[in-house]
Amino acid sequence: MDTIDSVLSAADQAWRAHGVRPADRAVLAADLRGDLEAAVADGARPQELIGPDVAGFARRLADEAGVRRHHPDHARLFSTTLIGAAVGAVLGYELLGAFFPLVMRFVDFPDETRVPLSLALAVYYGIPAAIVVASAVLAVRWRLRDLHRVRETCRAMALLLPIAGLLVTPVVMGFAWATGYSTDPIVVAFEVAMVMAALTGATYLARRWALRERPGAVAAPPLSAAGPRAA
Amino acid sequence: MIVAENVPSEDAERHTQLLRGALDMCLLALLAAEPSHGYELVRRVEAAGFGAVSYGTIYPLLTRMRRLGLVTDEQQASPSGPPRKVYALTAPGRARLDAWQRQWNRFADTVAAVLATSDTSPRS
Repeated sequence: MDTIDSVLSAADQAWRAHGVRPADRAVLAADLRGDLEAAVADGARPQELIGPDVAGFARRLADEAGVRRHHPDHARLFSTTLIGAAVGAVLGYELLGAFFPLVMRFVDFPDETRVPLSLALAVYYGIPAAIVVASAVLAVRWRLRDLHRVRETCRAMALLLPIAGLLVTPVVMGFAWATGYSTDPIVVAFEVAMVMAALTGATYLARRWALRERPGAVAAPPLSAAGPRAA
Repeated sequence: MIVAENVPSEDAERHTQLLRGALDMCLLALLAAEPSHGYELVRRVEAAGFGAVSYGTIYPLLTRMRRLGLVTDEQQASPSGPPRKVYALTAPGRARLDAWQRQWNRFADTVAAVLATSDTSPRS
């Protein structure tokens, strides 16, 4: 990858994957080409100027240019969140199923001890819920580790997913009550869809929060090793 | 990571962190002194003594400052090679630079005062 064309081709691929619109890609590429041509005329080599991570450079450049993006990331983000949450749900209830009898066997409450129902419910449902959230966040953090501002997204998800869970639970419970706690597949599917919608909505908000523009902030981008010395 | 001349490798990370908070201001200051094209600015940053900071770092930062209206660019003919996009400070860029410089000076004074306190405090 030694020519301006090859650098621009790699950058264009990264911009496509980053959701940069064609018109903005053309402007970014024209600007970059002009600057690279001037640098090359001074004796620099494009690959040495940009460094090995052309895609990272291209994404940063698009972000710094403030171009509007459509968000192909969202499909990956939502599917990863829901898959992670589903794995967490299975894992959580399996763990609870395995450990609950053990806990009941080994923790010998005195007869007069009465555990409040709310506490029991919080523990019984809270532990699997926490595993669901953790699993969803970890899935995003691991699978989408190349996603721009993924760390901030995960932090926001860790806050918003539990809130979404708390909000949707009474809605789902109310729906279940209204349908007589039916186990009809359509009813159950609708209940699952409500939970998925809540998780997806929280993930969308978390992503928007992570990508929000901070007014007045002109922080320096990550510093990287230089290319060639002056020609 | 930045590779600064005469900076031991164990200090490089700290050097990078210090520069991270000041690079945008320094770019504005360099452009205030003299408009430059992108690659020339990379060389001027290095010549100023910051060590090697890559084009891949500076070009996106210039792009952001241009978007914010702090710098402007203009195509200029070059006697050797293609026309160059030369970046220069705008009036809002000058105002921002002045504000950042005052803030930096206050910060540096505070740090210096704290360090001076540590120099004069009795050692056990």
